[in-house]
Amino acid sequence: MKKNSFWSPYVSGIGLGLTLLATFYVMGKGLGASSAFSIVSAVATQKIDPEYAGGLKYFSRYLSSGSPLKDWMVFEILGLFVGALTGALLSRSFRLKFDKPSHMTGGGRLFTALSGGILLGFAARLARGCTSGVALTGGAQLAVAGWVFVIAMFVSGFIFAAVFRRMWS
Amino acid sequence: MNSPLYEYGLFGEGVSLIVALVIGFFFGLFLERGGLGNPHKLIGVFYLKDFAVPKTMFTAILVASSGLYLLGDLKLLDMTRIWIVPAFFWPQLIGGALFGLGYLVAGYCPGTAVAGLASGRLDALVAMFGMIAGSLLFAAVYPALEHFYMSSALGTATLPSVLGVNHWVVIAFVVLMAGMMFYSMERFERKTH
Repeated sequence: MKKNSFWSPYVSGIGLGLTLLATFYVMGKGLGASSAFSIVSAVATQKIDPEYAGGLKYFSRYLSSGSPLKDWMVFEILGLFVGALTGALLSRSFRLKFDKPSHMTGGGRLFTALSGGILLGFAARLARGCTSGVALTGGAQLAVAGWVFVIAMFVSGFIFAAVFRRMWS
Repeated sequence: MNSPLYEYGLFGEGVSLIVALVIGFFFGLFLERGGLGNPHKLIGVFYLKDFAVPKTMFTAILVASSGLYLLGDLKLLDMTRIWIVPAFFWPQLIGGALFGLGYLVAGYCPGTAVAGLASGRLDALVAMFGMIAGSLLFAAVYPALEHFYMSSALGTATLPSVLGVNHWVVIAFVVLMAGMMFYSMERFERKTH
């Protein structure tokens, strides 16, 4: 195999673990990601159709605040983007591209990215978080929530990978 | 003991948003440098081709977990002020399973999609639009799902509290499991590459 320029997963894992530990120490809570998308979704819906957004009970948790985008998770995600961009630029691995399995058409990838994304957005709301907020944070807290989510996610991923054997190869 | 610092009023909400940017920066840097902005690496585990995700994830969990409980035991951190992820068994089991499928199909999860976009991947941007649409879909059907969403609530249950054992027993068990997992992954990778 060709050697890549990425760090060892154990090194980046230690870095991520220390970042999460610092978040516990400084903020009293953990990392997150999916709620930032949910907040953006609520704000965008409100911009397009204020009446419809106002009638959505689930979104009222964000929209009842005067400035929903002034949120810890939204700022954390902005920082995440800048941090990842810095890593990609410094290692000269930044490439503008539409990344897809080699056999897949552009339209096919558009469909998998969009439909997979819709599933992720929906599932993360149902589970009250994603890989960051429930799996990583809850896992480190030894919280039941985190371990239920991690196990369900991996088991499901393995089962569907066996079903869609050729999707990524 | 005066931490968590924010909970003890060391700084206000405005400063907390700057803290969020700094913490997010390192979160993104480690994700990208670990190769977790790359969808082929992200889904590799499910096809037994690349184990970067479980290696990174369980290393991070072990570091943060031992650090958190050590700071708590040394009375350097007030554990009662830590927001524990609340457990809702069935919603998190079904949500986790749907999430696993979405992760496989999209090739990203929410945080790693942002890292993917930051490394120049426009398919990650499409996945991000999907996540925004998926959140709206959930909000739209929420009235029908609310009963299920609120069901099987276990509060801030943790494995030590449910099992009635000391947290270090659970951490030692996780170390053992992760160690065995890492060992077999390394052996498997040497054999197949």
